[in-house]
Amino acid sequence: MWNIINFETLRALKKKSFWIASFAPLVLIVIVIGIEYFSATTATNNAAQQTQAYSASAKIGEFDDSGFISPQLLAAQHITVEPSKDAGITAVKSGTLDAFFYYPKDPSTMAIEVYAKDTGISFSPPYNAAAVQLLHQSAINEVSAATQNSEIVQILEGSPTVTATTYKNGVESEGLVGIIAPGIFAAAFLLLFVLLASFMIASTAGEKENRTAEMLLTSTSAETLIAGKVISIFILGLVQLATLAIPLLIALLRFPDKLGLPAGISLGTIPLDPVPILFGALFFATGLLMFTALLVGLGAMFPSATDASRFLGVSIISAFLPIYAITSVISSPHALIVTIFTYFPLTAPTTALLRNAVGSLSIGEALGSLAVIIAGAIVAIWFAVRAFRYGSMEYGRRVGIKELLR
Amino acid sequence: MANQTSLPAVDIQSFAMRYGPKEVIKDLSFTVNKGEVFGLLGSNGAGKTTTIRTLLSLLEPSSGTLLVNGKRYTPAMAATVGYLPEERGLYRNEPVVDTMVYFAVMHGLGREEAKKRVLAYLERVGLGDKANERLVGLSNGQQQKVQLGVTILHEPALMILDEPTEALDPVNRSLLMNIINEQRTNGATVVLVTHRMEEVEQLCDRILLLKDGTSALYGTVDEVKNKFGTTVIALAYNGTLPLNDKLYTITKQLPHYAELAWREGVTADEVLRFLAGAQGLHLTTFDVRRPTLNEIFLSLYK
Repeated sequence: MWNIINFETLRALKKKSFWIASFAPLVLIVIVIGIEYFSATTATNNAAQQTQAYSASAKIGEFDDSGFISPQLLAAQHITVEPSKDAGITAVKSGTLDAFFYYPKDPSTMAIEVYAKDTGISFSPPYNAAAVQLLHQSAINEVSAATQNSEIVQILEGSPTVTATTYKNGVESEGLVGIIAPGIFAAAFLLLFVLLASFMIASTAGEKENRTAEMLLTSTSAETLIAGKVISIFILGLVQLATLAIPLLIALLRFPDKLGLPAGISLGTIPLDPVPILFGALFFATGLLMFTALLVGLGAMFPSATDASRFLGVSIISAFLPIYAITSVISSPHALIVTIFTYFPLTAPTTALLRNAVGSLSIGEALGSLAVIIAGAIVAIWFAVRAFRYGSMEYGRRVGIKELLR
Repeated sequence: MANQTSLPAVDIQSFAMRYGPKEVIKDLSFTVNKGEVFGLLGSNGAGKTTTIRTLLSLLEPSSGTLLVNGKRYTPAMAATVGYLPEERGLYRNEPVVDTMVYFAVMHGLGREEAKKRVLAYLERVGLGDKANERLVGLSNGQQQKVQLGVTILHEPALMILDEPTEALDPVNRSLLMNIINEQRTNGATVVLVTHRMEEVEQLCDRILLLKDGTSALYGTVDEVKNKFGTTVIALAYNGTLPLNDKLYTITKQLPHYAELAWREGVTADEVLRFLAGAQGLHLTTFDVRRPTLNEIFLSLYK
């Protein structure tokens, strides 16, 4: 079997397409983190800078019925005070002003009115934000002047951090941070399934297309061959996970504050509860085994990888179906649909992994779901062996289920 | 318990194969002795490949026994059997050497020994410079040589070769025939499935011709020729071939070639004397020969 594992693994590792697929998620993650980082920085700075930026380049006027707007801020931002609301609107219509802000008597219940030149959709929102920012900053200035308390000003200007403590069965629960460790198995399962699905199908369909099946089946048993292929796919999966995980771990250790982890969470604070981690690992391994064997079997049934790929979508939808019902899976774990998903073989791995991560899966349910997945994996392996044994020599035609059951 | 050395290499008894109501092989029995080259012949659809696949346990027989060295074949016996299937191929996108080593190790060789034999074989068949090339870059004939190498590298005691020289030019066909003959000289048993009757005549000790799933011919090449064909006189000539109903009948005639069957009680010498003295006929060849297997094959399928 080592010969098969060695050959199958090495020939995949030598392919550029394998490495492109392996690094693609990492590249996408880096791009998304980069966009998020710059977006967040831009968003923070935008509101504060918009007033200045637009007042510097645009002619803006205002009329204040509320009495909150600070004359100092108006002067600093070169915003003129118009004689009346109507005068301001007329000035915008005539082109004398680029924008006019009207602050009603009670801005806490009444809308601020913004009148501006139509310069396209993308330029409209900054005036709205600038009008709000002007009122907001004026209010802060007023509170600051009245209280002389810098802490209150800081609270108003910033967004205070929150730590929450929740209890489950009288014991302090880990909350959001407790999801991370077992949740990694759910993410890894879905990621690997998507990345390796076509590999799984091609591993046997390729033997059929290459006309190597007869030579293989007279040289080794179908069981050994399928086991070798499945183990090889597992190894390739681990390589792909390592490709993603190692750079991310290094980045998390090096730049912990810049990678979007929720406040207060660092690698050192992630709890490692052995029970959900153990179940996560078991659901991950058995679920992947079941889907691998299923797709390997499908690959052997059909004349080519292209023909077998038509059924790839069904398998992927089965694995991802629980994601569509994720609200129920998380908030109503005992709903009928969640129970069905937990014990139906094709949806069980994802559902069990998600429920295990959010802590809504009891030990009994976990064992039940695991038993279903293991049974599913055994049936899938049996199917894969028979499909390869009897299907791989049927060149150019699909083998029916009836023939496999003969 | 029977002595292993006395057992036939292949022993097929009362083999039948049915697909639903259709019986594609009917009560087939034959043996292949150790050290002989056995020809399994037949037209397309006669049941040759089904017989070979069932012998190698790729298919289950409907009834009968099919044994290799006295046992039902299992992949555990792969080190002693080399199989070149009719539907064959290799990993087209992998290097030649990797693919050959993969199969050689599967056939029981150590990795180092396998690589050594692969390189020596490739050198011998003129593919020494292609060892690290991908198979897809090789011609059909070159791929065929690689295929044969995969079949024989582990020096199996029994080789089952289904159309081994298909797609080869005459030079390479001759080279591969030599390799097969060499394996036989070294003591290997060869089952040769082929349509090429000249290969059968050159290599095979015994043959079996399958027709519609049954044995139509079975025996040594001589036995088959004696039983199923009559000796003829083959002539190459210029001029006009005279008729002589007392001495012979013309069974086949082309502008400068003819075959004659002589009458009972007449000898070939008498026919030769008559033709040598015939006016307007110049003989260039006078050959008394038995029918070829090709002729017997064709006569059975008429």
